[in-house]
Amino acid sequence: MQYKKVIPSISALLTLAAGMTAMGGVAYAEPSAGQRLGAQCAQCHGTNGDGGFENIAGRNAASLYNGLLEMKARPVEGIMDRQARGYTDEQLWLISEYFATQQSSGGSDD
Amino acid sequence: MSSMNRRQFIKFLGAASAASALPASMGIGAATTAPRVVVIGGGFAGATLAKYLRLWGGNIDVTLVDPAAAHIACILSNLVVTNALSMSRITLSYDSLRNKHGVRVLQDRATAIDPVGRQVRLAGGSSLPYDRLVLAPGIDFMPIPGWDPKKIPHAWQAGTQTTLLKNQLANMPSRGTFVMTIPKAPYRCPPGPYERACVVADYLKRRKPGSRVIVLDANPQIIVEPHTFGVAFNEIHKGVIEYYPNAAVTQVDSNTRTVSTTLGSFSASVLNVLPNMQAGKIVRDAGLAVDASNRWAPVDVLSYASTIHNDIHVIGDSQASGQPKSGHMANAQAKICADAILRSFAGLPLNAAPTTNSACYSPITATTASYLTAAFQYDPSTRSMKSVADAFGEADKISGDHYEAMFTWANSLFGDSFG
Repeated sequence: MQYKKVIPSISALLTLAAGMTAMGGVAYAEPSAGQRLGAQCAQCHGTNGDGGFENIAGRNAASLYNGLLEMKARPVEGIMDRQARGYTDEQLWLISEYFATQQSSGGSDD
Repeated sequence: MSSMNRRQFIKFLGAASAASALPASMGIGAATTAPRVVVIGGGFAGATLAKYLRLWGGNIDVTLVDPAAAHIACILSNLVVTNALSMSRITLSYDSLRNKHGVRVLQDRATAIDPVGRQVRLAGGSSLPYDRLVLAPGIDFMPIPGWDPKKIPHAWQAGTQTTLLKNQLANMPSRGTFVMTIPKAPYRCPPGPYERACVVADYLKRRKPGSRVIVLDANPQIIVEPHTFGVAFNEIHKGVIEYYPNAAVTQVDSNTRTVSTTLGSFSASVLNVLPNMQAGKIVRDAGLAVDASNRWAPVDVLSYASTIHNDIHVIGDSQASGQPKSGHMANAQAKICADAILRSFAGLPLNAAPTTNSACYSPITATTASYLTAAFQYDPSTRSMKSVADAFGEADKISGDHYEAMFTWANSLFGDSFG
C-alpha cells in the first residue's frame, strides 16, 4: 500500500483544523507501509533510523535495498542476515524507501 | 454531530493525509477534547506505547502510571548481579516521556479497573477516566509453598531484587553452591536463566574458587539457544555448571535455602528461585487472563485489544500471543498497538499486515556473548504472529564482538523506548 500525498490548500487546512478542534478528533494520517515496517527496525537502529548499530536515516534507498537483499541471500553470518530473511523483497524495498526519507542526527519527525 | 458522522469525517481527513501536514499548534488544541489513553506499567511496553502515541498521534492525552520513579531494566541486569555494571546503567528515567513527548507520568499504582465506567482506580485515591486503556504490567509470579522472595531472591524484576541477589553472591563463601531454578515456559526472557547461570559461573570462578552452579530446569531441555548454552555449560563452564532438566519446584525452605523438586532436594549457599510466571495482577483481576493456562491475556494481534474488552489493550509480557516475552518484543508490540489505537480514534482500518521482531544478546562470560533473533509476520489464516523460519536463529559462535554489540543493542533499545 502506497502513501498518498495530497497537499490541501492552506485555507482548507485552517478549516479542517478548526473543525477538528471543535470535535476533538484525531489528526492521524494513515502511515505508509514503509513507516509501519520501519518502526520495527528502531529497536536496533534508533527512532526513525537515527542511531543504534548503523544510522540508516537518510541513506540512499537503492543502496539500503541492495544491502538488505545481499544479507538475505548470502550464508548467515551476522544477526542482520537473519533479520533480512524475515521480510519479503517488497517489504525490504518499502523499508529502504522509508528510511531514505528520514533525517539523520537530531532530525526526528516529531 | 453524531459519532458516526464524526468518524466518517475524520476518516475523510485521514484519507486525504491532510492531518499530517498540520502544525502542532493548529491541531487539537483543547486537552479536554483530546482522546484519553491511560497506560498501566512503565516498562519497555508501556514506555514505547506512550512515546509513539505522542510521536505519531500528536494531541492524544496520554497518562502513564507506574509505582516506580524510574524503570530499572531487566536487560543487562545479570551484569549488575555480578557487579560488572552499576544499577544506574540500567535505570531508565521517564524525563524524556514527560518533557520531550508530553506524556503525563504518574507515580502511583493502579488497583482496579471499571471497564463499564471506563476508569482506573489508583492507590493514591484518584480515578483516571479513559477512552482506551493499555495494560503493560509485565509478569507476576505463581506462588510456591514456603518461598519468601525477601530471603530467596528471584531477581527477575530488576531493582531491589537484583541488589539482594548481588549481595548474597558477594557474601557467598568459596567452594559454595549456587542453586537456581528455571520455570516452565512461557516465562519472561527465554534465554535469561541460562545466561544467568553462565555469568554467575564466570563470576564464581574468579571470585569464589571451587564453587558450583546447579541449574534445575522445569523444562525437558534448554529451551533456547541449545548450541550456545550447550557449549557454555559443557565446555566453557565445564566443572562449574551442573544442568538438570525436568526438575520442577514443589517447595522452598526459605530459612535453610533448600529447594524441593521432582528430582529431589537441593541445599544452597545462595538459592535463586525463578517461579512459574503469569500476567500482572491488574490483568488477572480484570478477568483478561483467560488463555488455556488461565495465566495470560489473549489479544487480537492486529491491535493487542483484549478478547474480553476491546477498549482494553494488553502488550508485553502479560499477553498470550505466543511471541517471546522480552523488552525488545514489548517495544515491537507497543508500536503495533499505538498505531491501532490511533487508527481507531481516526476511524481508519487496522494495519492488516503487522510485523514484529526480536533480538537479544546474552553474556556468557565477562567478555563474551551470544545472540538470538527472530522475525514475525501476521498470518491471516490463524490470526496470529508467525515466526519466519529462516529469520530465527542463534549466534554461530560466542564472541567478544557480540559482547560489544550487546551494549549497542541495549542502548538503542533503551533510547527507542524511553528516549
